[in-house]
Amino acid sequence: MTVTRRQGLMGLAALGASPIALASTPALAQSRAETLRQITGGAINTLDPTMPGATRESFGLSMNVYDRLVAFERKQVDGHWVFDHTRIRGELAERFETSPDGLKITLHLRPGATWHDGTPVTAEDVKWSLDRHVGARSLAVSQFQTGSLTSPDQFRVAGPGVVEVTLEKPDRLALSNLAVPYAIMINSALAKRNATADDPWAQKWMQTNTAGGGAYKVESFRPGVQAVLARNEEWKNGTMPFFRRVISQSVPEAATRANLIEKGDADIAIDLQAGDIATLESRGQVKVASIPQSNGFTHISFNTRMPPFDNPKVRQAIAAALPYDDMFRASLFGRGRKLYGGEWTTPASADFPVPMPVKQDLARARALLAEAGMANGFSTTFSFGASTASTAEPLAALVQEALGRIGIKVEIQKLPDAQLNTLQSEKKLAFYTDSGTAWLPATYYFFYLYFTRDQRWNFASWENPRIAELADAARFERDPAAYDAQCKEMISILADQMPLLMLWQPNMDAVMGKAIEGFTYQFYRQVDFRDLRRA
Amino acid sequence: MRALASAGRRVGGRLLAAIPAVLGVLVLTFLVMRVLPGDPAVYFAGGPSAGQAQIDQLRAEMGLDKPVPVQLMYYFRDIAGGDLGRSLTTGQPVLTDIRQRLPASLELTFSALLIALVAALPLGILAALRPGSAVDHLVRFLCTMGVCMPTFVTGLLLIYVFYYLLGWSPDPTGRIDIFAGTPPDITGFLLIDFALTGDWAGWRAAASQLLLPAVTMALFVLAPLARMTRASMLAVLGGEFIRTARAMGLPGWRIILVYALRNAVLPVLTIAGIVFSTMLGANVLVEKVFSWPGVASYALDALQASDYAPVQGFVLLMATIFVVVNLVIDLLYGLADPRAGAE
Repeated sequence: MTVTRRQGLMGLAALGASPIALASTPALAQSRAETLRQITGGAINTLDPTMPGATRESFGLSMNVYDRLVAFERKQVDGHWVFDHTRIRGELAERFETSPDGLKITLHLRPGATWHDGTPVTAEDVKWSLDRHVGARSLAVSQFQTGSLTSPDQFRVAGPGVVEVTLEKPDRLALSNLAVPYAIMINSALAKRNATADDPWAQKWMQTNTAGGGAYKVESFRPGVQAVLARNEEWKNGTMPFFRRVISQSVPEAATRANLIEKGDADIAIDLQAGDIATLESRGQVKVASIPQSNGFTHISFNTRMPPFDNPKVRQAIAAALPYDDMFRASLFGRGRKLYGGEWTTPASADFPVPMPVKQDLARARALLAEAGMANGFSTTFSFGASTASTAEPLAALVQEALGRIGIKVEIQKLPDAQLNTLQSEKKLAFYTDSGTAWLPATYYFFYLYFTRDQRWNFASWENPRIAELADAARFERDPAAYDAQCKEMISILADQMPLLMLWQPNMDAVMGKAIEGFTYQFYRQVDFRDLRRA
Repeated sequence: MRALASAGRRVGGRLLAAIPAVLGVLVLTFLVMRVLPGDPAVYFAGGPSAGQAQIDQLRAEMGLDKPVPVQLMYYFRDIAGGDLGRSLTTGQPVLTDIRQRLPASLELTFSALLIALVAALPLGILAALRPGSAVDHLVRFLCTMGVCMPTFVTGLLLIYVFYYLLGWSPDPTGRIDIFAGTPPDITGFLLIDFALTGDWAGWRAAASQLLLPAVTMALFVLAPLARMTRASMLAVLGGEFIRTARAMGLPGWRIILVYALRNAVLPVLTIAGIVFSTMLGANVLVEKVFSWPGVASYALDALQASDYAPVQGFVLLMATIFVVVNLVIDLLYGLADPRAGAE
């Protein structure tokens, strides 16, 4: 037998071709109007959002490919759609009830719901999925802990199509946690077929394959490059999406993304550069939805364990020295919502983040610094991550200049992101800017996540026993009035102690073709293709 | 037959001699990656509520909790078994990633080198024939421009003119029209694959996607090739055998193309080899600007995330390619100038 060169090449290719490339079906020539093309600066790196290192783009994709038991409703704010975490609707669960004591959640699955392979969704599948989120080594475990979901014993099949979740304490966010990107519902029969002894939860297989039943099926996926989705025509767990086909493509160069959107070759992008957005808006070929990221915040953090920032007076002095309005304009061109310049002494509501009562007052800053015994100032470094340079660099320059006026010498330090994260996690940064987002923007959750415990997200390494106590109490508080009081007290303590300075919530600028409608700002800060339509 | 055997011996000897160099590069990359500040475990455990436990767990999974010499030994053991590790950025084995992405980079680099050579050789010859003339100055100007403009500026400029303003070029993202179906996957080189399947419409589409990035890269490497051609042609044209050939009344084109060029092409070949290897790694900006799914942008992304395995895999790949390219150049020397093969 002789092998020709061509046969050899074919053989090699067959060996080398990934299973995904082979599985992709030849796309039907569908009209451009029914296809949505999203372009992103980052890239989808896994089809399983619970994999460590999953990118935000992967979370976005998984929302469209997998269903969760429940989902957040959306509401109109200033003419834009924004998610509403206070109203929860069923997704894969048709309805759900919470017992009066808040200790039991009963979920009734939607009759007739099927997985992508056509098999019916069962309560056993749901139980297996929930077990995976508390049992496998994945990002879901620590997220589910914030909803007091920690053990497979808490999930019980209570009849055909009925699943019960029991809690030890009435956790405020137990149900909300079932709506986050990690809480995917998995076709357990399919996943188990691809599990191995080393990998009982099929985590390896699910990185490049899906076992879901969501509104879209993955037609082809190349990690770091692009994903093509086809609408799941059998989908019953929500309103049938408009677009039959969705292409999500990584285009790293921001200027190229702007060109593509303006030429109409791509339909939507949410990560263009501020400068390009202003130009595109003025030329009028595109539509821009600018929506404040209501569950996020940009901040300046002090290391409250490191002198001189362990002294609240020093922190307050710096807070009184900064030119907030100039920083807001220089850094964001004013595209966002201010979290400074509040005019209150006691918080008006339990909502958070809110504008904090800080403003520039150099005389006060000098007085506070003198009170701290540092009338002559001191030297420090101010750090930020390279990926945020476009907004953080102007901010850092203004901080340096303003603090120079009260005698504090600031050296600016721009660090690669991985290095910044490491230093942050090791609590070695003295003074820096970064930002945070809470998927579940309940006030106590912000405080629990960002102001308690010895962990990376405690940006200021702040230890305040009263905050820890309040955050813990608020989490299980059933009386709304008591909960409000606890939240207000936490906000007051934060305003007084200033472990970090809240600056602003940057806008999400979704730039899209004029005919695209329905864009919704989602808590995971990605595009939900199911919301969109072409007029 | 003897020539073949000697060539074989030379190839074998070369490959053996390259092993210590490649090993050195491997160890060096390995150590540098670990010395760099930035802990991949922290970076990748970056979920909204990932704590120290997740970080430690990930570190153990990646083997980073062991001492560096032990890690290095494991690394060599894995490489010997053909396992380059797993990328955290893409979630795939590095070998799979590289296999999917290398053809894209190679296709782009080969096309760019071809365009550059096709442009540089005539330009260099023309400049050498009339040194100091207007043609010579024009060539010098072109080369200077090509070198001075960073590739991403050239790339963005070409996109702006040919895509945004004129609309002649397809949208500058990736290797094929995004709305078209999946291309055939035979060799990974789209131009070859489309030709093999006889899909000439697809071939044209892939070629038009390739044109702008390839031209961008070609412009950048035009200068070394054209200048080297000019310099070595000048030297050869001043030689006595050329004067003799002219005196014998041989036709001008024959003198230049056969006698002069063949002698002048050796240094050009050397430079082309170096240019090729450099392009493959240095075209990261072009790959970024044109969303080209190649190996260089892959390595850069990994480097930014302190993702060790892909960076190490990339460096290993580059070292290997460098060795192979140098070998090929050496063999080509023998073809161009039999004296070089004799040793």
